[in-house]
Amino acid sequence: MRTYVAKRILLIIPTLLGVAALVFLIMRIIPGDVALLILGGDQAGRIDQAQLAAMQQRLGLDQPLLVQFGKWLWGVVRFDFGTSLWTGRPVIEELLIRLPLSLELALLATLVSVLLAIPLGMLAAVRQDTWVDYLVRVISIGGLAIPSFWVGILCILFLVIFFGWGPPLEFTPPWVDPWANFQQMVWPVVTVGYRYAAVTTRMTRSTVLEVMREDYIRTAWAKGLQERAIVIRHALKNAMLPVITLIGTEFAFLIGGLVVTETVFTLNGVGRFVVDAVAHRDYPVVQALVFLIAFSFVVVNLLIDLTYAWFDPRIRYR
Amino acid sequence: MTESRCQRRFFSIVAVATLLVSMVVSTPVAAQTETPRRGGVLLAVIGADPPSLDSHQESTFANIQLVAPLYSTLLQFDPFSYPKIIGDVATEWKIASDGLTYTFKIRQGIRFHDGSPLTAADVKATYDKIVFPPVGVASIRKNAYTEIRSIETPDPATLIFKLKFPSASLLANLASPWNVIYPKKYLDKDPNYFKTNVMGSGPFKFKSYTRGSTFEGERNPDYFVKDRPYLDGYKFFISPETSVRAAAIRSGRAYIEFRDLPNSEVEAIKKQLGNKVAVQETPMVGQFGIAINNTAKPFTDIRVRKALTLGFDRYTAGKVLYGITGLKIVGGLMRPGTDFALPDAELQKLPGFWKDADRSRAEAKRLLVEAGYPNGLKVTLKNRNVKLPYQDFAVFAIQEWRKIGVEVENRPLETAAWFSDGQNTGNFELIVAPTVEFADDPDQFLGRYATGSTQNWGRFSDPRVDDLFSRQARTLDPAERKKLCNEIEKLVLENAYYMPGLWWTRNVVHLTKVRNYVAPPSHYTNQKLQDVWLAED
Repeated sequence: MRTYVAKRILLIIPTLLGVAALVFLIMRIIPGDVALLILGGDQAGRIDQAQLAAMQQRLGLDQPLLVQFGKWLWGVVRFDFGTSLWTGRPVIEELLIRLPLSLELALLATLVSVLLAIPLGMLAAVRQDTWVDYLVRVISIGGLAIPSFWVGILCILFLVIFFGWGPPLEFTPPWVDPWANFQQMVWPVVTVGYRYAAVTTRMTRSTVLEVMREDYIRTAWAKGLQERAIVIRHALKNAMLPVITLIGTEFAFLIGGLVVTETVFTLNGVGRFVVDAVAHRDYPVVQALVFLIAFSFVVVNLLIDLTYAWFDPRIRYR
Repeated sequence: MTESRCQRRFFSIVAVATLLVSMVVSTPVAAQTETPRRGGVLLAVIGADPPSLDSHQESTFANIQLVAPLYSTLLQFDPFSYPKIIGDVATEWKIASDGLTYTFKIRQGIRFHDGSPLTAADVKATYDKIVFPPVGVASIRKNAYTEIRSIETPDPATLIFKLKFPSASLLANLASPWNVIYPKKYLDKDPNYFKTNVMGSGPFKFKSYTRGSTFEGERNPDYFVKDRPYLDGYKFFISPETSVRAAAIRSGRAYIEFRDLPNSEVEAIKKQLGNKVAVQETPMVGQFGIAINNTAKPFTDIRVRKALTLGFDRYTAGKVLYGITGLKIVGGLMRPGTDFALPDAELQKLPGFWKDADRSRAEAKRLLVEAGYPNGLKVTLKNRNVKLPYQDFAVFAIQEWRKIGVEVENRPLETAAWFSDGQNTGNFELIVAPTVEFADDPDQFLGRYATGSTQNWGRFSDPRVDDLFSRQARTLDPAERKKLCNEIEKLVLENAYYMPGLWWTRNVVHLTKVRNYVAPPSHYTNQKLQDVWLAED
């Protein structure tokens, strides 16, 4: 197991280097020069070349790509992601304003999803082709088919129309005012959690169904074990591997992928920060955020692999 | 009328105006009967983050609406009586009889929020940055001040603009809300300092800004206008989603949206809140049209350009788009109904403005056949990925063009690419190009059709337009100026160098407890909030 863990951790290094290079290059390939944008802003028209060159020099964009990449990478190693070209503040400071919100939303949505999806998925599988199964399938297909932004807007409109109440427009951390935080987060959590739960329910149902047809389950039935013991102790544990993968990757996605929900609920999270930074060609911010999101994917994948190995000994001896 | 007689007439008007103006104090007189209440924080919603905080280098409402309350300007448009010009830090001004020297008296005792005094030197440094920008600093408005030869400050209370030629529009340009006054000492250190920092002398002091979330100002207790502001502060919530902003007002989480909400949302808000909400609908100093790249084939051919403008039924567009976008009024290059606009009767003789849409389409098809496109043609329309009103406007235009056999692909670009891969480089065939200004001034609206203008998106050059533009800028007789402006419009529209679409209207929706705010035709002006107050619920 120790060798396996060491190997998996070492593999992260080339993965992250590849991600870093890719992120860096993509930011320079997409159209739109940050120097031009900073000089011009809206309706600037044709910029004087000397001005442009001066701005590029100021931003360090006149240096060879490799030098720029090297400098950036050296900063990353020291956890220094540079300064935002638009706000003039360190990227890490800007990120720390938004990260708690995204983490809270991702964690709560995951929690809601797991608490809903695993029992519902199991129930649907055990009661296959009964009204319970149909109901669960309708709810989960709805979650997959209805876009999150629409669910979010419906939530807001419903509350406003019927109660004249809308969620607060500004995020308050739970340690500052738990009630204000609850009012702000409950609907985004419901919106995101519903979609997330729908995906997980489908996966749980199908994997439990698959496992329930295995020989060892038949043996358990033959031994006269109770249904609860068979489902929870034997079927569920073995059905969990793909579900864990899904939960892990979805969680990693949620950290940076909640742009639409954040927009609808005016949450100033990491997702909106990424989109805003791309729109303004804020290279240091985009590079840092995409790198950190990729990093979280890599870490989550590592954890999933390690969990796999723990669940299934065959994996660690491969 | 000879030029000298015109000039005499103009200067007699100016003399009377100067006398009147010198009596005007910078506090506008509000037409109000209630006693203003002090206190409270004005909560507003806004649809975007500004690219930067420097108003000199930006032209989006997202900048000016957030920062205007933090700054002073030399002159301003009267918040209660657009387009009347009154002083802000200038207490009075005089124009020399030859029209070449403007002398302003600067109010003494004004302090920036860091405690340092505001003097004529600060105003000069501000305008030097705008009119004569140093290398590495953008000034997107320097074209509007070509008449300025130099700016002088004989003493801390006096500011003099020396001109190269008499200008009909200088006062309006000096009342620009964009020309906020920065302290000289900060500009000397770094002309780009204000892209990310704030230091003004306005009614409110900067409190906080979290990008993508909120922008806040708090009362400036040392503001130079006595007893102002009434508010303790103001706070903008930034949300790009229109329905979310509307819902915020419906639920009372926000009190006002200063730019525009579509009619469908306005009706829903009115239905829910009844007499707790007020809607000020005003025409807007801006129109949405299409820039045609005159240097790209097939648009080098006047027949193709004309076919496009003929194929767009503006009168139907006004009816269809009004409810969802606020785009409503058919007009040319100057706002319909204003002093320098082309009269309707004359406009309707020009291609694209005929009332008979079928006749226009038949002519458009004929022109396309004549230009060598009997089976129509395919082109791309670049656009900004902003829904209101860019996308809806483009969708309507594309449907219209299909009726004359022109297939158009709508290509939405995010703002940065819209500029860098469109307007700035000319890498487009057609592009949605709005013209939105802070006042109905011909220099602002018509300058973009002159050769080499930074805002000449279509990259055309017509020496006749250049000559007319230059003459109107120097013409002090309003009647003569109007004639020249009308000639420019006719030339641009007859040659379809640019294709105007519709003029915008705006719905400023606010709870009735927001008092003393009059929505002007520009969403850039009257944003200082110094006279706004909040009634109790």
